[in-house]
Amino acid sequence: MSVWKNIWTVIYREFVIIREHPIYLFGSVGVMLACCLFYFTFFKAGLPSDIPIGVVDMDNSSVSREFRRQIDATQLGRVISFDTFEEARLQMQKGKLAGICVIPSGMYDDLLSSRQPTMSMYVNGLYFVSGALSYKDLLQMVNLTNGAVQREVLRARGMTDSQIMGIIQPVNIDLHQIGNVYTNYGYYLCNILLPGCLELAIIIMVIYTLGMELKYSTSRHLMKVGGDSIITVLTGKMAVYTVLFSAIGLVLVIAMYHWLRFPLAGSIWNMFLDIILLVLASEAVGIFILACLPVPRLALSIGALYSVLGFSFSGFTLPIEAMPSWIQGLSEAFPLRHYYLFYVQEDIFGAGFAGWYREVIHLLLFFFLPLPVLLRLKNAFINQNFPKE
Amino acid sequence: MKERKTFAGRWIQDFLGICNHELRQIFSDWGVMLIFFVAGLGYPILYNLIYLNGILNDTPIAVVDEAACSESRDFIREIDATREVEVAYKCINIAEAQKLMQERKVKGIVLFPRDFGDRLARMETATLSVYADMSSFLYYKNVLMSTNFVMLDKVRSIQIERYGALGYTAQEASQLTQPLLYEENNPYNRAFSYNIFLVTAILLIMIQQTMFYGMSLLAGTQREKNHSFASLPDRLSGHGVSRVVLGRGFAYWLVYMAVGLYIAFIVPAIFGLPQRGDFKDILLLLVFFVTDCVLFSETWSVIISRRETIFVLFLAISPICLFLTGTSWPTVAFPGFWKYFSYLFPSTFGVQAFLNMNTAGGDLTSATTQIFALSVQTIVYYFLAYATLYAENWVINHERELAEVRQKIDEKRRLDRKKYTGLISGGEA
Repeated sequence: MSVWKNIWTVIYREFVIIREHPIYLFGSVGVMLACCLFYFTFFKAGLPSDIPIGVVDMDNSSVSREFRRQIDATQLGRVISFDTFEEARLQMQKGKLAGICVIPSGMYDDLLSSRQPTMSMYVNGLYFVSGALSYKDLLQMVNLTNGAVQREVLRARGMTDSQIMGIIQPVNIDLHQIGNVYTNYGYYLCNILLPGCLELAIIIMVIYTLGMELKYSTSRHLMKVGGDSIITVLTGKMAVYTVLFSAIGLVLVIAMYHWLRFPLAGSIWNMFLDIILLVLASEAVGIFILACLPVPRLALSIGALYSVLGFSFSGFTLPIEAMPSWIQGLSEAFPLRHYYLFYVQEDIFGAGFAGWYREVIHLLLFFFLPLPVLLRLKNAFINQNFPKE
Repeated sequence: MKERKTFAGRWIQDFLGICNHELRQIFSDWGVMLIFFVAGLGYPILYNLIYLNGILNDTPIAVVDEAACSESRDFIREIDATREVEVAYKCINIAEAQKLMQERKVKGIVLFPRDFGDRLARMETATLSVYADMSSFLYYKNVLMSTNFVMLDKVRSIQIERYGALGYTAQEASQLTQPLLYEENNPYNRAFSYNIFLVTAILLIMIQQTMFYGMSLLAGTQREKNHSFASLPDRLSGHGVSRVVLGRGFAYWLVYMAVGLYIAFIVPAIFGLPQRGDFKDILLLLVFFVTDCVLFSETWSVIISRRETIFVLFLAISPICLFLTGTSWPTVAFPGFWKYFSYLFPSTFGVQAFLNMNTAGGDLTSATTQIFALSVQTIVYYFLAYATLYAENWVINHERELAEVRQKIDEKRRLDRKKYTGLISGGEA
């Protein structure tokens, strides 16, 4: 039973290290707390409101003023009036306006006499969310105006309102947003960004803790404590971090789906499984990077370069299929990608085991990553024959 | 007069010496080289490749046509013809389509209910149902946009028919259905393409972050070896804090003006990103931005006492910086605290100014606010860098006193560091 004793010794030793160096807790609990604080509060509104939309009213009639008021009254928009288009355009170029709407002079007259005036809309596509929303808002207002004009004409003919609706809106769309009914950006982004931060913290922390043994030449002693078995040593060391990061992951899942009530079609227990698999897979990646390159200074830089790519390659903003085909395959090399696919099945569709078992297999495959390089790590730990800095 | 000249001469000599020393440090450290040159030069290309297409075309959807009338078939054909959506499956019932969606073969469902054609024939409002997968908002956007465009188009042709039935002429009907015409312009980013707004922002964030990480790596290394640059003023007999701040900074400034020119001019040219700004304006912005980043990094790298801590503590700040620029989530929707927090980073103003000038094609006046903010930041960070260096210098000179204080605290906490060190290293190291 000495193996168990050795593992315990390694675990105890790791506790002492963590106690001696506050950075271990800062790097795990601290970083995740800061990230949660940021992302949860930053997207608190869910959907932006009162986006500045410039209106250049060259008509100054009762209809154009009404139009301006109506845009201002939508939840999305807030009207800023300009006298000339030039001024408004400058403000949009400065990024202060999400869109501009130019009401042509004589619009009221033209409307009354069916001369079909043309309204010009400009949208700032450089500020993505506000630009897209202002576009939606302006388009909706123009279509409502068209409906209102028709309604007046048809009422004058003596039609009832239900008859009128059939004419001004012959086709209607009944939209169902599956998995995020409120188009809430907070739900959408936090669901993947925060596990992404967790992945990043784990990879860096695992490289750090193993790398420090090499840097301060304590690895030989560590091997001795672990009975010269790299498996024992890694089991002991990783046991501590698995417990630590799994606890963080579980709290994160509870925070999202229980305290903050993010929509969840499936079961929270399955999300627990997802996050724990993410923790384990990320640890395996961390071990792999350090074992391939047992030079802490370089391994950490490479770990950092690798893990920031996880956000893009999870494919939750720009989907993987929109990337060039020869770069799509890279996404498989990131645990976060498989976490995301699992999440889609469980959280969006509530599909359960049949939906996500493939992702579980993918994430489990990451466990084999350190195996081919274990011996290399063991030799590096014992011989300490790599540059320390 | 003579004395002043010698002071200026010495100042410049020290300045160049320190700069030279720092440059040598940069180029002899592989970890820093990796961050500065592999990340600084390679990542702009990698991100451009990831977001090369920038938009999502032909999102597969399933169609359930329970109405099976000519109008619904027409509708389906037109949705299929839009850029956004491709009708990949035609299903018999909604259950089949749901299964396809869960298997991720389709990202949306369009359902024409049984009464769709009948309602149109009765001149009532016919409703079709659209289901969108919200796992990525681009799917939702595509499905919604294409069905909306087709719907607006269909609405118009049906309306003309119905007005005809009421006795209007074709000309009258077409004027009535669209009393108000509109034209839409999206001058800077026509298709809401990701590479134009996101990659452009990421480019400048990369300048700031790689510099911050690289400089902190080096500062941490020097501190570990007790070779901190903060001990330099001692050799200059207590003076010359500003020489050290500026001399060190100038080394990074030189490296990063090169990297910055590459990122701001060459990379967009390679990938055909918009470059609508004037060369001189953008160069000026780059000078302001890089200078600010240097002093920003010099100030904050004071927290880093050991080489490796930088990534452990501050790697997760990069995506946060991206959100704080306001390119995706609009600045007007920032909660108050985060708005002020965003003023800490040069990237907040740098990215906005770069977007306004380079991508939106504005001149310097479109970025005056940002350049003013960058200048204020530069001045504040200069004094902060000065102060931190001064403080570190004080700490180095009072190490013995501080060690005593630390020991007293340890005694109070009953920590036996020797015992722990023995446990960790076995007394070998």
